[in-house]
Parts: sequence; structure tokens; C-alpha cells
Amino acid sequence: MDAIAKSARGATQLLTGNEAVAWGARLARPQVCPVYPITPQTPVLETLTAFQAEGTFDAEIITPESEHSVMSACIPASLAGTRVFTATASQGLLLMHELLHYASGARAPIVMANVNRTVASPWAFWPDQTDSLAQRDTGWVQLYVESAQEALDSVIQAFRVAEQALLPVMVSLDAFYVSHAMEPVDVPAQADVDAFLPPFAPERRLDTAQPSSWGNVVSQDMYYRHRQAIEEAMARVPALLAQADGDWQRRFGRGWGVVERYRCDGAQAVVVTMGSMCGTARVAVDDMREAGLPVGLVKVRLFRPLPVAALRAACAGVRDVVVLDRNHSPGAGGVLHQELRAALYGTTNAPRIHGLLAGVGGVNVPPRKIAEFVREARDSEPRPESVWVR
Amino acid sequence: MIAIAPVQDEMLCSGHAACPGCIDALAARHILAAMGPDTMAVIPPSCMAIIAGPQPMSSLKIPVYQPTLESSAAAASGLRRALDAQGKRDTQVLVLAGDGGTYDIGFQCLSSAAERNEDILYVCLDNEGYMNTGAQKSSSTPHFARTGSTPSGKLSRKKNMVEIMAAHGIPYVATASASHLADLRYKVEKAKAIRGTRFITVLIPCLDGWGLPDDAGLTAARYAVESGAFPLYEIEDGARVTLNVTARPRPVADYLALQRRYRGMAEADVATLQAEVDAAWEALERRAAAGAAAPA
Amino acid sequence: MNSIPPIWTTATTESIRTGTWRAALPRHVQASSPCREACPVSGDIATWIGLARERDFRGAWEALTRHNPFPAIAGRICHHPCEAACNRAGFDEALSICKLERFVGDLAIERGWAFEAPTVEREERVAIVGGGPAGLSAAFQLRRLGYRVTLVEARGELGGLMRHGIPSYRLAREVLDAEVARVVALGVDVRLNAKPEAAPAWAELRRTHDAVFVATGAQRQKRLPALDYGQPWVADGAAWLASANAGEIPALGKRLVVIGGGSAALDVARSARRAGHEVTLLALEARGQMPAQREEVDEALEEGIALVDGAMLQEASHAGGEVRLACRRVRFVPGERRGQFSVVPFADGAFELRADAIVTSIGQDPDTAALGDGVALDGSLVAVDAQQATARDDTWAGGDVASMARFVTDAIGQGKRAAFAIDRALRARRGEAPAAERWRPGPAAAIAIEASVPLPAIATHAYAPQARAAARRLEPAARLASGAEVQLALDIEQALAETTRCFSCGTCIRCDTCVAVCPDLAVVREGDGYRVLGDYCKGCGLCVKECPTGSMDMVQEVR
Ligand SMILES: Cc1cc2nc3c(=O)[nH]c(=O)nc-3n(C[C@H](O)[C@H](O)[C@H](O)COP(=O)(O)OP(=O)(O)OC[C@H]3O[C@@H](n4cnc5c(N)ncnc54)[C@H](O)[C@@H]3O)c2cc1C
Ligand SMILES: Cc1ncc(C[n+]2csc(CCOP(=O)(O)OP(=O)(O)O)c2C)c(N)n1
Ligand code: SF4
Ligand code: SF4
Ligand code: SF4
Ligand SMILES: [Mg+2]
Repeated sequence: MDAIAKSARGATQLLTGNEAVAWGARLARPQVCPVYPITPQTPVLETLTAFQAEGTFDAEIITPESEHSVMSACIPASLAGTRVFTATASQGLLLMHELLHYASGARAPIVMANVNRTVASPWAFWPDQTDSLAQRDTGWVQLYVESAQEALDSVIQAFRVAEQALLPVMVSLDAFYVSHAMEPVDVPAQADVDAFLPPFAPERRLDTAQPSSWGNVVSQDMYYRHRQAIEEAMARVPALLAQADGDWQRRFGRGWGVVERYRCDGAQAVVVTMGSMCGTARVAVDDMREAGLPVGLVKVRLFRPLPVAALRAACAGVRDVVVLDRNHSPGAGGVLHQELRAALYGTTNAPRIHGLLAGVGGVNVPPRKIAEFVREARDSEPRPESVWVR
Repeated sequence: MIAIAPVQDEMLCSGHAACPGCIDALAARHILAAMGPDTMAVIPPSCMAIIAGPQPMSSLKIPVYQPTLESSAAAASGLRRALDAQGKRDTQVLVLAGDGGTYDIGFQCLSSAAERNEDILYVCLDNEGYMNTGAQKSSSTPHFARTGSTPSGKLSRKKNMVEIMAAHGIPYVATASASHLADLRYKVEKAKAIRGTRFITVLIPCLDGWGLPDDAGLTAARYAVESGAFPLYEIEDGARVTLNVTARPRPVADYLALQRRYRGMAEADVATLQAEVDAAWEALERRAAAGAAAPA
Repeated sequence: MNSIPPIWTTATTESIRTGTWRAALPRHVQASSPCREACPVSGDIATWIGLARERDFRGAWEALTRHNPFPAIAGRICHHPCEAACNRAGFDEALSICKLERFVGDLAIERGWAFEAPTVEREERVAIVGGGPAGLSAAFQLRRLGYRVTLVEARGELGGLMRHGIPSYRLAREVLDAEVARVVALGVDVRLNAKPEAAPAWAELRRTHDAVFVATGAQRQKRLPALDYGQPWVADGAAWLASANAGEIPALGKRLVVIGGGSAALDVARSARRAGHEVTLLALEARGQMPAQREEVDEALEEGIALVDGAMLQEASHAGGEVRLACRRVRFVPGERRGQFSVVPFADGAFELRADAIVTSIGQDPDTAALGDGVALDGSLVAVDAQQATARDDTWAGGDVASMARFVTDAIGQGKRAAFAIDRALRARRGEAPAAERWRPGPAAAIAIEASVPLPAIATHAYAPQARAAARRLEPAARLASGAEVQLALDIEQALAETTRCFSCGTCIRCDTCVAVCPDLAVVREGDGYRVLGDYCKGCGLCVKECPTGSMDMVQEVR
């Protein structure tokens, strides 16, 4: 069956997370797509170029010499009023760092998939979210996905949110566990996606017909107001995402939420985590529930802006919150741990928060271990710092 | 009288923040006029970015995107492709970058854009140093010149960016000087008519950075050409070399004497520099002659 | 503040008045040129060369003749001090201004161009005594101003020394006639063979006219005390030349010694050569000091005249059928004023020359005896001020009678100056304001300044080096045989090429360089001139520095 026919009708395909990302990008119809290969993101690139070779993807693909140039190309392309997509991982993302700030400052609604991989040195190729979490202050909206299906859907939703908020969005998926794992994925029909995602038509853009320039030096006052405006846009994101996801749910019969509460009703303890770890935690929660333990999972899909209200609601009345961080911020521990502590600080009956550095560097964390962590947490005093566990 | 083409279609506005007598602004004025209104500019941090105006004012009548210092050619590529995607293939993308942003920090992405033969006109406003940060050396700073980071004179020679760009085999590479305005306008217009990556480096005497009186920028630029320190030439398709000004009536010492950045230079160093200029000039002459002899 | 968008520009920088940064402001000027400063008629050289460059030869001729009605004459025999002053000399070689002038003048004769009649006719009458260049120039200017002019000339033809002094091999008679006729055609009342001999005649002139201009030249030949002019082998140069120019060569034998170092002596010598004499020229001055023009001396030598320079005659005697001249080598030391000098004889410098006759041509003094009361003298000359006014308020004087300059164009310039002075005086008598006197019409936007533009004010890089038009002259043999004009005219290609060499000092050529080089777009073309936008000009001076004609200058501003 040829790809066009497939996409027109919508069909289930066996796809890896990377292929699902590429399909999501293809369905969103970006016009410019600068991209640079890096393990484990490379299949995203190759799937897109293959689409283009077969004639099903007509974006301008640019293949510069570095991720730095990829992001450098993305920003003005977006400011010119075209939809822009790219993907990277790990070192590539780190190399983009300066431009990530630049993109959000430019209010460029670029969507980028990031395959979470350890950062060097030393060299390693394992799932680890330190790369993207280290970019949390760059002004990008960050989504973390658990599966190939969620990856596909999130890329498309991300464009809608990005273009409404005029902020760039990063969709992160864990190396190999998501990027390379194959699963049946429902690939929506192009027409249905088109109905969900209108063309990008920003009011202000680089256009010789209405000459206006972007990037001229500003005063302190202008800079201050500009940052305020970014913050206001960020504040709108949880609602915009919820709307987009709700609409998606209506159209395609599935949604992913902003913060997902899995079997949290009556839970005395919840596991809070992001990305592929959520899948493992789901099994652990099921096992614990089966064993009669009132434990749930809170999946943080939207990490930036941190949906504080939703997290507070999800954790309200829970005695123990067990945060699983597959990342490491030296000197601070787990990033999600610290973020959650900050989010829940000062709430009445705030839960006890246990921060666990589990799975750093891609170390395997089986469901059994998660159950163990939860039990240990219940029986011990929470510590302010994150704890190394395996 | 050697005539200057009349100025029409001004795309630069008065009221910009360039220093009095600034050749950066003057060169940009003529480049922009030659490019016309259906052009978008990419201007990285540099003096030109300041000249472009403080928000919310722009001194350019065309849209400008200011990228990061090191990313002009990549940004221009992105812009180019966005325009292509929109069907605006006739809109020109023009980079106006400093030598620091070109020879040094932006070199990598420029080489890449040239390798891809992106359809952009990249103009390097070459003032031979990081002037916006107060005159430090770049790899374009000539041998012996004093800068904030080479207070006793630069130990190494100016990077030959023209040859490097030509080695990419792009359709058009040229040098130009605001002292030879007609030649500058001609080259920009010629480049404008070509598709693919085009690279022009324009010598921009920096009054402050080189130590020149306000009215001496064009004199210095002229002496640079007349002494052969900055020859005017074109390289087409990486091979065909045309020397636009073939006379070299002035010793390099004349050129050096105008500028404070060469003050107190030892005579032996002047001789060394002269020998370097001679050698480069002769090599260029040979290549131009070879190009003229080769079948078109 | 809150209304200013922090991103995306919404306006241009044109609202920023960068003019407040500067300390000096350029202005577009119309200045004088060194050639004009040196030119005895203050000719508007840059303008007429510019018009010629654009092939507007008629315009060039009109600009030329505003100051000098005789371009074809001056283009042949002017001593052209303009060329010595020319800025281009400091670049490669001086412009061939004089030859260009001849080119335009000849074209006017060839095409029969005439002066336009005066636009107004005035009541006042002016009498001009002397129909040489000084008198004719004054007559021309006064007629153009509308005065009724009576020109009184003692001889039977107009032209003065241009006719009975300067020989036709330097100034063809057709040229002289044509240019003089054109002045007369303006409506000058010419009285030939008329001469106010004595005081009553002058008084009558003054009675019947509102002003008198004395331009009688210097007619009295100076004589060497060592010579007895009663001898048949001694002759006066002026008389000799007047005869020769009239076609009657005095019979003086084969070998002549001509004594003198000026144009007149050269003309005697060269005319004698053409009449078949063997000629030796004995000059007091060393060759480089001789008042004659260098070309004249060169040409004389080419024609086979023997020059004995830096030497003086001490005594002459006739013995054995020949004249023996006892001479001595001397060092000539010029004095304060022209015409004054001293000589230092060399101890061992005695030598002897032999000849059949001696003709002296060592200068002339004016005949001022009959001018009447109240005209004061300054030595042998009529005393005049800078406006050619004599001590009498109804009398002006110019040319050789009042000046030791002794050149045709000096006489023309003085005639012009006197004419304007007379005009001012006569208007003042009637209570009229003086006529607006701008030395040339120029663009309204330009500020006229009198100072002349020096070479450093010219952006010479705008000009390619180019050799001066080569002067061409007849071969010596052909000259001697035919008596035709020695110096040949430039052809049109040469002339046009020469015009492109002119720096147009102080005269804007509308090249737009000032517009093009301003980084702040602060110079704009306005009508036929240029305006500096004070709102934006930062005072860098580039427009001044790069102007190829010195037509922009800088003035300090006090804020
Ligand atoms: C041989 C010679 C060659 C020369 N060559 C040159 C040369 O190459 N270039 C140059 O620039 N200069 C030359 N000169 C000098 C130049 O000719 C004179 O300086 C110039 O002609 C002076 O002009 P003028 O009008 O004052 O007098 P003149 O030319 O002498 O004219 C005076 C006129 O007044 C007339 N006149 C005199 N008295 C009376 C009177 N009482 N009533 C009525 N009319 C009177 C005379 O007849 C004469 O026509 C030369 C002079 C001589 C003698
Ligand atoms: C990544 C980065 N490093 C340093 C700077 C600071 N900086 C701004 S302009 C500049 C010098 C630019 O020199 P050049 O490109 O030659 O332009 P010029 O100022 O001479 O016109 C530098 C170093 C910067 N903007 N970005
Ligand atoms: S260059 Fe022309 S204007 Fe200047 S002095 Fe010479 S002739 Fe006169
Ligand atoms: S630069 Fe040219 S146009 Fe401007 S004042 Fe000078 S001569 Fe005139
Ligand atoms: S070039 Fe422009 S800014 Fe400079 S002095 Fe002239 S008018 Fe003023
Ligand atoms: Mg620089």
C-alpha cells in the first residue's frame, strides 16, 4: 500500500517512536525542516528524507553542518511565516542551547522532537532526560511522551499550541525505549489532521511587502516587557494544551492530558515521573493496586511550563509522592524532584516528597523496583536531596 | 572625471547610529540600493546591527533579521528556504556580516551554506577586527596591526577568506571597496543576478579601530586598493579570476602611514608586509592571466 | 513607554536627528579657482571649460566673453599666467587653458557668433581714448551695460599694439579684425584718426561725456643712452615693427643685432628673420629671466636667431663698413617693480659683436603730456587706484598708460575693471544702486565665496593622469617661408580631451559624489545645486574630502 493512500484514509501501522515522530511531522505539513543526524534521532531524519524522496513530504529540508545551524535556520524560517520542524538529541540539543533562548525570544513557534539521550562526557547512548531538562530555562514548552502513538499525536498538538502561544515546543521521547520500540500506531488521515491544525499565518512576519525587522536592540524597559509577554504566553500553555488535547480526543478518540492521573483515586502514594518511565510505573501501579496498595501514577506530560495547579490537584490528599528522575542535575539531584518540591511548597497538607535518582544513564528500572521504592518511601522520612537508587 | 553611478532607490535611512564618516554605513547604503526593495537582510551582531537601529526603529527599509553572531549563513539559509517554500524565489536574501562573524565565529555555517550553494548573497563588511566590541583582532586583522587583543601588533597574517570561499566552487566570489563605489555597485548588481551562494567581502576602514580621521575612510580604502593590500578581484565558479584594478601605484607604506593601528611599526616589518603584499599580488596576477588564457 | 513594541520594528530611524552630533557643517560653495585668480581678466575658466567639455561651445564662448571679448586673440598671445597657477600642474601638467580659449574663440569666428545687444540703453556717454585692448575691452563692457560709447583712436585702425606691435605670424589679422569688429558691432561710436592733442581737446571730451577712460598705451620708445639714434645703422624697434607689420621692411643691411628681452624685441628679431636678416638678439636678462614668453624664445631659436643673453651693450661704433658692438656679460637683478632692475657686470665678460645695424626694443613709456589738469602721475605712468580711477573723478585709465604689466590681457582686464568702476560711479551719481555684480551666474543653492580652491581641496583621485594636449607649431622652415601663424590650434579631439583634465576648481560639475559618499544620506540634489540636511549631517567631512572640484567646504558651528 503506498504511503499517500495510507495517509489519506488513516491506518494503523507498526512504527517506532522515531517513525511516529516523522509521521506526526509529515501530517503537520511543515514547510521548512532543517535537520542534523544524531543517535538515536537519526531515523527521524531518514524517515523524513525518505518521505520526501517518495514525494509525500514537500518541506524544504536543509541539511547544515550542525545542530547549531539547524536551529539558526529554524528561527528566521519560522519568523518568515513558515511552519518549521526539526529533531535532535543529546549533544545536538546542547549545541543548540544559545539558539533555544533565541527562538523563544523570537516567539518562533518551532516544533522540535528531542530524543532524550545521555549527555557526554563520557560518551554514552542511553535514555536520560538530562539533555532536555537542562534546557528548561530556555523558554521552550516541553512535552514528554511515553509511546510512539503519543509521540505522533504530540507533535501535531505541539504545532497547534506553539502557533497559538507563539512559543517553540519541544517534544521529548526517551532514547530506544520509545524512539526505537515498535508498536502499532494509528496514523490519522491527512484531512483530519488538516482540520485540527490550520495553516500557520502569523500576523507579524518577515515580509518584504510589509517591511518590519526583528532583533533590533531594545531598552531595559522593552526587554522587561518582552520577558513579561513570554511569561504570559507560557501561562496560557496548560490551557491551550488541554484544549488541543481535548479537541484531539474528540476527533481521534484518544487524549493524553496535561498531567495524567493513573489510578490515583484514593491513592495514599503516587509515583510522579515523565516519559517512558511512565509505562513501567503503570505496570508497577497495577501490580501494587492488585496487592491492595493504594498507589497511583501522576504522569507529567507538560513539563514546561510546569502545570503547577494540575500537579497540586493531583497530589492533594496524597501522603507520599515518589518522584522518579531519569536525569541528573549535579548539585541539585533530580530535576523533577526539585520542580515538584517547589510546586507543592506551601500547599496545605503538602505531601511528603521523595526524590529518587532512578534510571540515570539509562539504568533499567523494572516495575518490581518501582514498587520497592514506593514501599521504602512510605516507611522512611523524606529527604530534601534526591537519593540515588537502583 | 571618474564617474560614480547616481544613487537611486535608497534603502538605508538617515538617522542611523553609525559613527560620523562610517564606511560600514556608506557601503551598506550602496549595497542595499543595488539590491532594491525585494530583499531581506540578515545582520548578526556587529557595527551594522547597531546601525540597523534601536527598537522600534529600523534604518533599513527592508525587513532585517538579526541572528546570533555565529549563525548568519545558517539563518540566511533558513530564510531562503522559507521564502522558497512560500514561492518567493525572487526575493533576495542578503547577509551583511562583519569579518568576525564571517572569518571566525560564523565560518563553519558559512562554509556549509556555500557547500549547499544556498541561494544567498553574503556580504562581509570587513573592517578587519571586532569593532563593535571595541576593536579586537579577528582572523581578518592584517599582520602587524594593533588591536585591543594584539597590543604589540598581530603576529599572524590575514586569513584569505576569498580563496577559501572560492574553493567551495560557488558561482561568485569578489572583493570590493567603498572607495571604488562604481565597482562595488557593479559587483552587487552582478551578484544579484546570479543564483546560488555569492560572497563579496567589502573592505571597511573603521575610523575608530584603525585610527583614522572622520573624513579619511574612503582615502584609506582607496590606498588599500592602490597599494595592493586589498586587491579588487572576482573569482567565478571557483576558477575564473578577474583582477578589477590592475594598477598598483602605491607602496604599502603609504597605506600604513594613514592609520594609527600601524603606528611605530618597524621598518623591517613594513618591508615584510610589502613583500607579503607583493607575493599575493603576483600570485593573483598569474591566476588572472591563466584565467584569461583558458577557454571560457 | 508601554506603547513601544519590544519586538518588530514599526518606524524608521529618520526621526532620529543625528545632526546634533556634529561640530561642523559642510556647505555647497561656488568658489574661485587659482587660474581665475591669476587670470588678468578674472576669466571664469572652470565654467567655460566645463561647458566646452559638455560640447556646449556656444555657452563656453558666452562665459568666456563675459570677461574678455577677445578669446581668439588671447588664445594666441596671452602670456597665460592662469596656466602657471593651474592646480592641475601639481598633479601632472597644467591645463592648456590658453589653447582651449583659442579653440573656442576660433569656433566663434568660424560660426560668426555675435554678441547680444545690450538689454538696456542708458543715457550716459563715456569717452574712451585709445583703441587698443584696454580701450576696446572697456568699450565692450560699457556697451553691454548700455552706455553710449565714443572710442577715439589716433591711428587709422583699431587694435593698438595688437595690430602695429604683434606680428601676424603670432596673431593672424583676420582673427584680430573679426574680434575687433564684433565689439564695434555692439554699437560703439568709433572715431579713427582722431587724437585729443592738447588740454582743450581733453576738456571738450569731458564736457561732452560723463566719464573718460584713458587707454592710450605706451607710445614713447625707450632709448639706449649708449647709442646715437641719428645714425642710419640704429633703429627704434616700435617704428621698425610698425613698418614691417605694414609690409615695408626698412633697408638696414643683412646682419641685425636686436637689443631687448621682451616680446617686442623678440617680434622685431623674428620679423627681421622672416625678412631675410641674420639676427642676433642681445638680452640683458639671462634666458630664464627674459620677460618674453618661453615659447617665443624657443621659437626664435628654432628660427635661427642667435641669442646672446645676460649681456649688455657698452658702446657701438661703425668702422670698416660694419657696426662693432662692445658688450659685456652681466648678471641681471630684477627690482621691486616690473621694469626696475640693476645689473652686475662680470669682470672678464667683455666681448664684441659685429653687424650691419642695431634695432633696440627695450620698452616704452606712455605719453602723458596732454592729459590735462588733475590727472596725477606715478613715475612715467598715470596714477590709478585698484578700480582704475585717476585723481580726477571723471577720468579712469588702464592698460600700458597706467600699468607696467604690459600684456594684452592685463590691458583687457583693466579695461573691464574700469568699465565696472565707471558704471558704479555713474549710477551713484544718479542715486542708483550698483548693479548686482556676481562674477558668474551659479546655482542658487551654492554659496559664492571669493577664496580660490587650492589643490589639496580637490579629490584628485577622481581623475586619471593624462598628458596635456601637445602644442603643435609649424616647422621652422615653413614658418619663415610663409609668414603664417606659428602656433597651431588644437583639433576638436585634443580640445575635448583637454577639457576633461580640468579639475573645475570651485565649480560644481554636478557629479553627485557628495550625495553618493555621505553615509548619512545628508546631501541632496536640489535644483541645479546641492543641499546639506542639517538634521542628519554628522559633520564627518567626507562630502568635502571627496568632492572632485572643491565645491564643498566645512564651517565650524557654535552651539
Ligand atoms: C611688439 C610687441 C609685442 C607684444 N606682444 C605681446 C604678447 O605677445 N602678449 C601680450 O600679452 N602683450 C604683448 N605686448 C604688450 C601689449 O601689446 C600691450 O601691453 C597692450 O597692447 C597694451 O594695450 P593698451 O590698450 O594699453 O595700449 P595699446 O595697445 O598700445 O593701444 C593704445 C592705442 O591708443 C592709441 N592712442 C595713443 N595715444 C592716443 C591719443 N592721444 N588719442 C587717441 N588714440 C591714442 C594708439 O594708437 C593705440 O591704438 C607686446 C607689445 C609689443 C610692443
Ligand atoms: C557568541 C557571541 N560571542 C560574542 C559576542 C560579542 N560580539 C558582538 S559583536 C562582536 C564582534 C563582531 O565583529 P565583526 O563581526 O567583525 O563585526 P564589527 O563589529 O567589526 O562590525 C562580538 C565579539 C556575541 N554577540 N556573540
Ligand atoms: S584645473 Fe581647471 S579650474 Fe583648476 S586651476 Fe586648472 S584650469 Fe583652473
Ligand atoms: S561632489 Fe560633485 S556634485 Fe558635489 S559639490 Fe562637488 S562637484 Fe558638485
Ligand atoms: S558626508 Fe554627510 S554626514 Fe558627512 S559632512 Fe557631508 S553631509 Fe555631513
Ligand atoms: Mg569587524
